[in-house]
Amino acid sequence: MSAPIIWIAIPFFVGIFSLFILRERSSALIGGVTASVLALIAMVLPIDIALLLGSISIKISPSIQFFGRSFEFNTADRPLLVVVYGISALWFLGTEASGTSRRFVSLGLMIIALLTASIAVEPFLYAALLLEMAAMLVVPLLVPPYQKPGRGPVRFLIYQTLAMPFILFSGWMLAGVEANPGDLGATTQAGIVLGLGFAFLLAVFPLYNWILMLMEESSPYVTGFLLWALPTFIVIFALSFLDHYAWLRNSSQLSNGIQFTGVFMVASGGIFASLQRHIGRILGYAAIAETGLLILVMGLKSSEIVTITFLILISRGLELTVWALALSIIKRKAYSLRFNEVQGLARTYPVAAAALILAHLSMTGFPLLVGFPPRLAIWGELAGQSLGTSFWVFLGMLGLLVGALRTLAVFVMADQGKSWSMNESLTQRTMLALGIFGLFILGIFPQALQPFLANLPSLFEHLGQ
Amino acid sequence: MLILISCLLLFVTALTLIVLRVVQPNARYTWLVAVGGAMLALASVFIWLAQMPFDLVLPAWQPVRLFTTPILFQADGISWPFAFGIAGLTLSILLTSVTRPVFVNSFAWVGTLALGGLGILAVTTNNPLTLLLVWAALDITELLTQLGSVDGSANNKKVVMSFSARALGIGALLWASIVSISGGGVFDFQSMSPASGLYLVVAAGLRLGVLPIHLPYSTESILRRGFGTALRLISAASSLILLGRIPAGGLDSFATPFLLMLATTAAIYGGWMWLRAPEELNGRPYWIISLASLSVIASLSGNPLGAVAWGCALLLVGGALFLASVQHVWLNRIMLLGAWSLSSLPFSLTASAWLGSLGFFIPFVIIAQALVIAGFIRHALRPAGRDTLDAQPGWTRTVYSSGIILLIALQFLLGWIGWGGAFQVGAWLQAVIASLLTFGLVWAIPRFRVLNPIRAHWVTTSTTSLLNDLDEGLGSLYRVLERISQAIIVTLEGEGGILWTLLFLALFVSLLRNGTP
Repeated sequence: MSAPIIWIAIPFFVGIFSLFILRERSSALIGGVTASVLALIAMVLPIDIALLLGSISIKISPSIQFFGRSFEFNTADRPLLVVVYGISALWFLGTEASGTSRRFVSLGLMIIALLTASIAVEPFLYAALLLEMAAMLVVPLLVPPYQKPGRGPVRFLIYQTLAMPFILFSGWMLAGVEANPGDLGATTQAGIVLGLGFAFLLAVFPLYNWILMLMEESSPYVTGFLLWALPTFIVIFALSFLDHYAWLRNSSQLSNGIQFTGVFMVASGGIFASLQRHIGRILGYAAIAETGLLILVMGLKSSEIVTITFLILISRGLELTVWALALSIIKRKAYSLRFNEVQGLARTYPVAAAALILAHLSMTGFPLLVGFPPRLAIWGELAGQSLGTSFWVFLGMLGLLVGALRTLAVFVMADQGKSWSMNESLTQRTMLALGIFGLFILGIFPQALQPFLANLPSLFEHLGQ
Repeated sequence: MLILISCLLLFVTALTLIVLRVVQPNARYTWLVAVGGAMLALASVFIWLAQMPFDLVLPAWQPVRLFTTPILFQADGISWPFAFGIAGLTLSILLTSVTRPVFVNSFAWVGTLALGGLGILAVTTNNPLTLLLVWAALDITELLTQLGSVDGSANNKKVVMSFSARALGIGALLWASIVSISGGGVFDFQSMSPASGLYLVVAAGLRLGVLPIHLPYSTESILRRGFGTALRLISAASSLILLGRIPAGGLDSFATPFLLMLATTAAIYGGWMWLRAPEELNGRPYWIISLASLSVIASLSGNPLGAVAWGCALLLVGGALFLASVQHVWLNRIMLLGAWSLSSLPFSLTASAWLGSLGFFIPFVIIAQALVIAGFIRHALRPAGRDTLDAQPGWTRTVYSSGIILLIALQFLLGWIGWGGAFQVGAWLQAVIASLLTFGLVWAIPRFRVLNPIRAHWVTTSTTSLLNDLDEGLGSLYRVLERISQAIIVTLEGEGGILWTLLFLALFVSLLRNGTP
């Protein structure tokens, strides 16, 4: 069997199959188990190396041809597949607890399969098409059946679709630049077109307003999944560009531009988060700030770009899962998610409130939580390069912290005499407790991620070598 | 390894109490287990003296290329007095608990032991990373404990505000480390760049409620005497240790006099409120603020040993006073020996307090110190109105008294041995002036109305109004910023949002193209 069939075709077809399963719990279990098994296979079985089990020899071939394009995974991709399918398993297992519709699992599996295909496709520029297809599949998740789509999903689709021609066009231009690197005009044009493509894909300022609209209009769990899945693969796609074209890596102007964009997103995301009165929108801004961090890291002049990026991506996966799950549970009680509706909720939904606050604190880089080690690594690299940039990033994190503290204050400000009670179901409590445990364990022992992180730089030929 | 042994003794004892509570809820020897564990911990910390200085290095975070600083604890002349004080306080709390109305294996004992262990870890941290982690653990513990023990919207808000101040302190420590790294330093206290010294003071000041002055602790908590004392004092000690770690020359800045002024104001204000507090538990936040301010002042004057001395006084002298829950004439008189520890007279615990250069601020610092000592004497000699030990069995009386006397004995012991500030003559002239002023104040208290205790509810009212002013000021600023952000959001998310977005995008592209950023 070939690797693309295992990690692309199987989840895609399981996704289609699970569309016909009516029970929410079965659907969540199928999604969770499938993703877990795929993560386990990636962890255990080598690619392109024969494995002898008694008299049986198993070998996963690395590539497959499809419509003239090659999809290929090699050994270096295994830790990435473990991380992607491991975190996906968390999302799918949390479906029942979040009360999200059962098609989330089926469409989610298909989306992850398409996004995984975007890592494997050669030439890598075709990843843009797969990303666009994944974005289209997200739309049915965001819009409830038989309802008119709100402005958020429409704007999301517009921006993602606008990105594709820019990326494809830049690919064509970059080939020309590689052939004639002295042509400054063409280089600048290619850089700008490429930058615009990624600006739309990664929702940089001011293109991120669809995120906030979705946080108000759609299910927080689905939007959280979207905010984890798409940027994760887009960032890997962007790193592929940096890896592929030497002039992109070596251009100080581009590097400055990337850093500037990242810092602007972190600072604006943090400051706007501190001024919100809607806990869903606060999640949106926190995700924006974290995407800003990812962009900032890509602009660092460091050999540790890949390691730091994946450190952030893993922590982001866990944080967003816990946060979005807690938000979904709270949304059932307080539909609008505005401060005036969620006031004092910590007394009636203590586990959900605690999980939400801890996930939020983690995104601010609060020590002991999973978000702290990656931020510490960023401070270590960034402080040596520019104290001014560090200040703006610090300000953004401070804004997020203010947002977390305000949310905490609102949650605990219950009326006199209101007693404590736990209104979360057993499944919800279990999932949230597991998430909280993960936030702390990976925050205190980040070395637990080392087996995955150690080999990730080999995904890229030039970056991080 | 010895650090680990001391902490484990406390943690394992706490765990044993939990197990006993589940397995044998009616066991009558649990208190003995708790006291035994605390006693062993105190003895083990004393044994540190034989090997100091020594380190405890935990396995490094990976990848090591990114996390070059290990998680490191160190026992040395700065951390030992704090660790010894914390171990002593933990034992003392358990010993004095025999007079509490409910004397059973409670979570308060477990909490006290665990907090003692965490406190020892906090004061032995030897780099910002380790301190950040332990601070965070302490803050989350305190937040959860407080939220579980207070009621009502306003009190819950106060708890969050105090957590916020401490979280900002964590931020200030992080920023100090960033500044140090940008100046070519690394992530440890010894090689931190001088530019970061001031931020370290701000970090400690924010956590202690000194810079700017604010009440970091709610006065409404039901956890008052036993566990409450551990929570307050150990938390304060964990912040004060930072002042002892500030590198030499790290505070030569134009902002130092300004911070000295703020700290002196906080010390005088805290001392005044402490002097006039109706009873010691109501005045405890002011005790912490005034002693912490004196510690900050010592640090800003370039005397880290003085900062440690005031920190130890906060723990031991305050601990003895706050744990004394019964009326006992002889014990009250013995407790007055704490005034000696606060006096900074030669060979006292705080003898090294004023070895730095205070310049213009000396008179104000003397006033603050005198207010604190006079307040202490007033509270130690408080009139009757409390329970007595007469109705208690003989062993209870002995155990209770030994708990209080232990902390007083430790004050004297630390004045003589074990660390850099021991057996010092210090700035004796300043100490004598402060002592004379203290006598004057003690004489004046019953004679001048202005020095009389204020009513209990006034303590809360005055504090609240101060915080309310700050709260309202910040609230107004917040509302202005909120309106601005709302205007931007409405523009970008409205009907014409896409056009506005594309316009912004064109602007950015043109900026990037010209290489402006």
